[in-house]
Parts: sequence; structure tokens; C-alpha cells
Amino acid sequence: MTLRRTLTIAALLTPGLGLILVMVGSVFYIAVAQSFGYYNLSGDSAFSLDHWRDVLGSKQFGRSLGYSAYIAIISALGSIAIAYPLAIWMRKPFRGSLVVGSLLKAPLFVPGLVAAFLFLNVVAYHGVLNQFLMWTGLTDAPIRFQNDRNGFGVIFLQLWKNMPLALLLLTGAVQGISDEVVDAARDLGAGPLARFRKVIAPLTVQAMQAALIIIFIGAAGDFAFQVTAGPTNVQSMAQYMVFLKTSFGRWNQAAVVGVSLMGLALVGALGLAGLARLTLRGLKW
Amino acid sequence: MVSLSDTAPVASRRPRRPAFRRFTISNVLIAILLLVCVIWLVVPFGMAVLWSLLDPSVRWEYPDVLPPALSFARWIEVWNTTSLPMALRNSYILAPTVAVTTLILASPTAYAFARYDFPGKGAAQVLTLLPLVIPGFVLAIFFSALIFSLGIYSRFLSILLAHSVLFLPYAIRLMTVAFSNVRLDLVDAARDLGASPWARFRVAYWPALAPGILASLIIVFIQSIEEFAVAFVVGAPNFTTIPSILYSYLGYNFVRPNAAVVSLVLVIPNVLLMLGLERLLKSANPAQTGVKG
Repeated sequence: MTLRRTLTIAALLTPGLGLILVMVGSVFYIAVAQSFGYYNLSGDSAFSLDHWRDVLGSKQFGRSLGYSAYIAIISALGSIAIAYPLAIWMRKPFRGSLVVGSLLKAPLFVPGLVAAFLFLNVVAYHGVLNQFLMWTGLTDAPIRFQNDRNGFGVIFLQLWKNMPLALLLLTGAVQGISDEVVDAARDLGAGPLARFRKVIAPLTVQAMQAALIIIFIGAAGDFAFQVTAGPTNVQSMAQYMVFLKTSFGRWNQAAVVGVSLMGLALVGALGLAGLARLTLRGLKW
Repeated sequence: MVSLSDTAPVASRRPRRPAFRRFTISNVLIAILLLVCVIWLVVPFGMAVLWSLLDPSVRWEYPDVLPPALSFARWIEVWNTTSLPMALRNSYILAPTVAVTTLILASPTAYAFARYDFPGKGAAQVLTLLPLVIPGFVLAIFFSALIFSLGIYSRFLSILLAHSVLFLPYAIRLMTVAFSNVRLDLVDAARDLGASPWARFRVAYWPALAPGILASLIIVFIQSIEEFAVAFVVGAPNFTTIPSILYSYLGYNFVRPNAAVVSLVLVIPNVLLMLGLERLLKSANPAQTGVKG
């Protein structure tokens, strides 16, 4: 490659990729540096492990980390589990498939805060769900669904918002499998489950991994669903980080939580994606 | 005994399945799914519409299934007494600016990805996705530290910069596809026929680029309008956007009818734009616009 060509490509990449690298790199650097006592916005900056010691030693951090991991894992796996059968069912167009597909993917276009508000309306103490349950006689009195202690409301919202994304990715991948491959498996006596395990899942593993990674990272870093519909006895990592920064101005401790959240997102997303590949390879063999 | 089929005209003598067998499993599944979708979408949005139209003079409580009285009073009240008009103005000035800025920043990189082969191109394309894999609030909080240390005090400029970086991956991806669809044989033919650079752009580039440009503008516009983390952390309390207002109604001061109004103000234009985007993306079919020549 000539120097002129190299310079041309570098100049073209600078406003887009260059800006991304500078900005995201700076944000990452500031978070890591602040967690170790550097880059303080006020006061002296000096290397210190105290902030890590303080945060890692607090019970609240452990609970937040566990809670965010729990929400993210269930949301990622749940979205995939719901989306796969639907994607396989809609592999071939049928009468009404366009309408069904559009309706299923509609939550993708609804902002997270609006989704949370819609959910609160439905599950409110005197909301339509409780009215329906009492009308059918299933319950005598309204049930408190909002801010439940197990985070089921947040998981439901995550599934509502993220399942369409998984469906979008998986539908494309499943539709890419040629009929000959599926028919050959059927001719060789493979039932629906065997066809899924030995043909469809291995051939769509990349789409599944992409969906797992995107959903896991989004759910692990959730703030909006947690503060509106989540349990009040535990904070998500993002909520804990914002709380430390805004309530007490503890930038360094917020940075420790932020770096830990990035670590959780990275380890969890890659772990789930790797597990999916390993499992499917095992099934393939 | 003479059956009906014996007396029917020859053309309609094809054996017909009994009516009940036409209800295949697929049809039943569609019916169930449509019912679920109604519960999935119509009920929540219907509730939001009803709450936004609840007349302030009455209360909607158990056992009332529907509101006792409806009016547009809440809409008028929210418009006149809250900072919604200001938030709308901020959001609808910010989002188009972000969309245009992002398009300008993304286009050279997208052109390089579409037209040049170079070592590390795959890695470079993966690196453009970085803003999507950093949790939103981590990015927002430490971006606010960055702009504070850089001495940038304009909230508008700060959010503009953050949104542009956040949504660059979408614009780069869409524009890479658009630049790949420009047919080089058309460009060469136009040049051979003596077309000026502007004429070459209009004839050979624009038809392939237009759907990508419009799709990029729309998707970044929608993402910017909806974005909450940066707008909240960097903008609040001086620079409010629609999601910031909605958050204030969903937090400690939960005012359901007001939240319903703001939710609908936020979601309805986006749904309309998304429908437009879907049409655009369909029209941007590579089979129609040609492939890299």
C-alpha cells in the first residue's frame, strides 16, 4: 500500500472511527483512572486502592452485582428461548406472517421509559391485570406486582423489549438455512427437536451469540426499568453508580462500580456467547 | 341419497376439506398469537391513551373499568404548566442536528469501508461498534467527567457530541451499505461521457446513496429523541429533553395522567417515523440499486 493511499484511508477513518476511539477510549480511561484515585475533578490525584477496597467490601455492591447479573442472564436466555420457536415458525411466509412479525417486533420501537410506564399501568394495584384476576375470581384482593422483590417485573420488561431484537436476528439467520438442508435432515428421520439441535441451532449460532451479547449488556446496564419497576430493596449496578455519583459526589467509588459493570458486561456477554457455542458443538458431536 | 356434490357444477366438484379441518395448527397459532399481541400492545397503549384523556375533575379507581369522564384537559394542563414545550423544543432541535452531524462524520469512514481494502479492515469495522457495547450510564457519567475537565459548559454541545458518537455505529453501517451499492461502471460511464463531478454525483451516486442517507438520518433522529442516559446525566436539570420529563413523572413524583401524555408525545412521532424507515429500508434493497461495480 502506498503512503498516499495509507494517508487517504487514515484521513477517511478519522472523523468516524477516530472520533469513536478517542471518545470511548477517553471515557474508559477516566473511569479506570478515577477508580484508582487519579483524574480527580477536585482535590489531589494519587494512586489508591482504597476506593476498590471500600466498594468491594460493601454488602450493597455484592447485592447489586448479583442482581444485575441475575437480571441480565435471565433476560438474555429468556429472550432467546421465546424468540427461537417463533423464528422457526415464521421461517416460511404464511398468510398473516407479515402482520404477526410486525406486531411481535413493535416493542423494538418503544422507548424504554415508555415501556416501563405502560407496564406500570397494566400491573398497578388497581390496574387492568388485577381487575381481570378479581373479575375471573382467581384472586379475592389485588396483588402487589409493582416493584416486586424478585425483579420479575424488570425481567418481564426486559423480555418485552429485547425478545423482538432476538427475533429479528434469529429470523434472518433461520431464513438463511436452505430447504435442502432441513429436508435432508427430515428424510434421514430427524424429528423437530433433532432438527433444531443438530441443524438449525448450529447453523444459527452466530445470530444467537449476537443476540445474547447485545441483550446481556443492555440488561446488565439497565437503569430505567429498575428505577421504575424494580425492587426497592436492591439497586442495579447502573442505579448504584448513579446513586454514588449524584447523591454523594463520590466519583471514585462510582468509577469502581462503572468499571465493575463494564467487567460484568464483558465477562457475562462473552461467557454466555462462548457457552452457547460450546453447548451446540457438544450437541453437534 | 343424493349428496350436494352430485348436483354441483363440474367446475366446483373438486373435493373440499371439511370446514373444521381448515383450522390448521398454524391458523390456531396465528389466532393465539394475535390475541397475545393485542394484550401485548393494544391493552398497554389503550390504557396510556385513556389515562392521558382522564378528566382532572374525576378519579379513575376500582371498580371502574373505564374512566368516568374523558377530556383533553390533561393535555392542555401539561402543555401550559410543565416544561414540556421547552423539552420538545430542545429534543426537536437536538435530534436533527445530531442526525446531520452523525451523517457527516460517518460518511468518510463508511466510504473507506465500502471502497478500500486495507489491512485490519475487519478489526476497524468491529471497533466502530464500541459505543454499543459500553453500558449507557457508564458512558454518560464518565463522559460528563470528560466534558467537565475539558471545560465544555454548553449542555447542548455536550449532548450533541455524545449522541453523535453514540449513534455513529448505525450511520457508519447504513452508509457503508449505501456506498457499496454505488455502481462504479455507472460512475465511469458518466465520466467517459464528459459529466461534471456534480452530474456524476447526481446520476451515479445519489440514487444509490439516497435511501441510506435518509435511513441514517431517521434512525439517528429517533435514537437521539429517545436517548435518556446522556440527556439525564449531562443535561439535567438545565437542559431537559422529552425522556427527562417522562422520567421525572415516573420517579418519586409519579403523576400517571401526565406521564401518559408525555409517553404518547414521545412515542407517536417515533412510530410514524419508524414506519417511514421500514419503507425506506425496503426500497434500499441491493437487488434494486445494484451492487458494487
